[in-house]
Amino acid sequence: MTVYESDLPGVGKKHEIDLPDGSQLVVVTHNEGRREVFLRADPDSDSEKLFELPDRLARQVGTILEGAYFQPVKSQDIETLLGGDTLLEWVDVGEDSPIAGQTLGESDLRAETGASVVAVERGTDVIPSPGAETTIRAGDRLVVVGTRENCEDFQSRVDGT
Amino acid sequence: MAAGLLELGQVFAVLAIAGAAALRIGLSVIPLYVVSGMLAGPFVAGRFGVPYVSNGELLTVLAEVGIVLLLFFLGLEFSLDRLLAARSRITRAGVIDAAINLPLGIAIGLALGWSVVEALLLGGIVYISSSAIITKTLIDLGWIANDEADPILGTLVFEDLLIAVYLAVVTSLVLGGADAGVSGLGRSLAIAFGFLGALLLAVQYGTEFFSRVLDVSDTESFVLRILGVVVPIAGVALALGVSEAVAAFFVGMGFSTSGHRERIERQLTPVRDVFAAVFFFWIGVGTDPRLLPGIALPLAAAVLLTTPAKLLSGYLGGRVYDLSEHRSFRVGLGLVPRGEFSLVIAALAAGGSTTVMRETIPALAVGYVLVMSVVGTLLMQRADRVEGLLDRVRSDTGAST
Repeated sequence: MTVYESDLPGVGKKHEIDLPDGSQLVVVTHNEGRREVFLRADPDSDSEKLFELPDRLARQVGTILEGAYFQPVKSQDIETLLGGDTLLEWVDVGEDSPIAGQTLGESDLRAETGASVVAVERGTDVIPSPGAETTIRAGDRLVVVGTRENCEDFQSRVDGT
Repeated sequence: MAAGLLELGQVFAVLAIAGAAALRIGLSVIPLYVVSGMLAGPFVAGRFGVPYVSNGELLTVLAEVGIVLLLFFLGLEFSLDRLLAARSRITRAGVIDAAINLPLGIAIGLALGWSVVEALLLGGIVYISSSAIITKTLIDLGWIANDEADPILGTLVFEDLLIAVYLAVVTSLVLGGADAGVSGLGRSLAIAFGFLGALLLAVQYGTEFFSRVLDVSDTESFVLRILGVVVPIAGVALALGVSEAVAAFFVGMGFSTSGHRERIERQLTPVRDVFAAVFFFWIGVGTDPRLLPGIALPLAAAVLLTTPAKLLSGYLGGRVYDLSEHRSFRVGLGLVPRGEFSLVIAALAAGGSTTVMRETIPALAVGYVLVMSVVGTLLMQRADRVEGLLDRVRSDTGAST
């Protein structure tokens, strides 16, 4: 997939995204926040406006498209691509997880898998940048950064499989 | 006190009505603001004995703030990096545009028997396309997502840069040159470039200062701080006989590197639009419609000669961007509207010493902007029909030869 970005002086930015069927999606982001979305059937034709969203709504729709609310392919995981092959992934710690009750240091997850825990969600609390002394409990949700492979290793260590 | 407030109230009420009318008929607000100023001013409303808005100091100062903010935004949008990134295409398209339209306007002025400075003023008026009208129409028509948007907006950026230099030179010629002779002209040019040079240095090395000035979360303070920097600097420039518009342009460039560009655009756009509306109104107030028949001939010549010239230069600019014939033609159509900057030049000319500068050029510029803003917008809205017409003409001539 190729995304072309260009400046629109006085207006904002334009992103053109090639779609698999040869058409192009054009997103115009106005400086004041409004997004206009166009479809161009082929490179020679005119862009046809599909819809327009205010800033806030555009972000919400973007989050839905990203799969943060619902991820149809791997329903267990929520993952976000940070760029390159690096993911931001949420990993749930189950009741029978071998690492439940261990501190992050004891579990040695980073050394073993290469993925690091950047935050722990515990109920409604969030522990940002947890240290080696932070104890992981069953029911925690770990926010993990690493390559796809690191994250998969991490997941199987947490699940004990 | 009461009279002034009443008069200002009349200005805003009339502008609101004109804006509503523009929205209703789908035209740009600029020609309607100008016409509403003409109707509410001393020459029409005044003559019929109804309360009218006089061309007084109050309105002039507010209009002046409008010019300053228009140019401030131009500087804000104008990023050197952006220009450099696409410089070869923007420069080529921009040079073609300038090389065709600017000399044409000067030639028309000279053919009318005007002096070189007067002809140079006309050159600028017919050269500079309207960023405000064109950008708005591009968005309205959805062309903004098409490939023709790039050469159109690129050419506008080039024009904006050139017009900053042009205004600096022409202001000195108009304000300093006429009665003081060559040495006086040299001195006023020296002052202009000295002041602007100092300002440019401040802009270049003042990024930290600009960032610190704007480092406040409160909206009101934010807006006031920007106005508190740009308006006084423009005022000093004008007091020195230097173009206040160019000074504002440079300050805008300084603020654009402060990292607050988007916030400035978001929060100051309404302020700019209000004062710009007053500026267009003020132009109308100063225009006596009785002068318009007298300039009918030069106006017709300017419209009939410069419209095809802009179509041609725009077409060639589109080809520079490797666009198809069809899209390149649209680039030409998209550059036809003239507006705010032609009127800024006219306002500058009105401060000159000859009758041509004080009366003919402002009236001509108003007439020209009224025609070109409407014609240009209509050409863009009916682009398909215009192209169809052109294709028919071409196939007819092709068949007959």
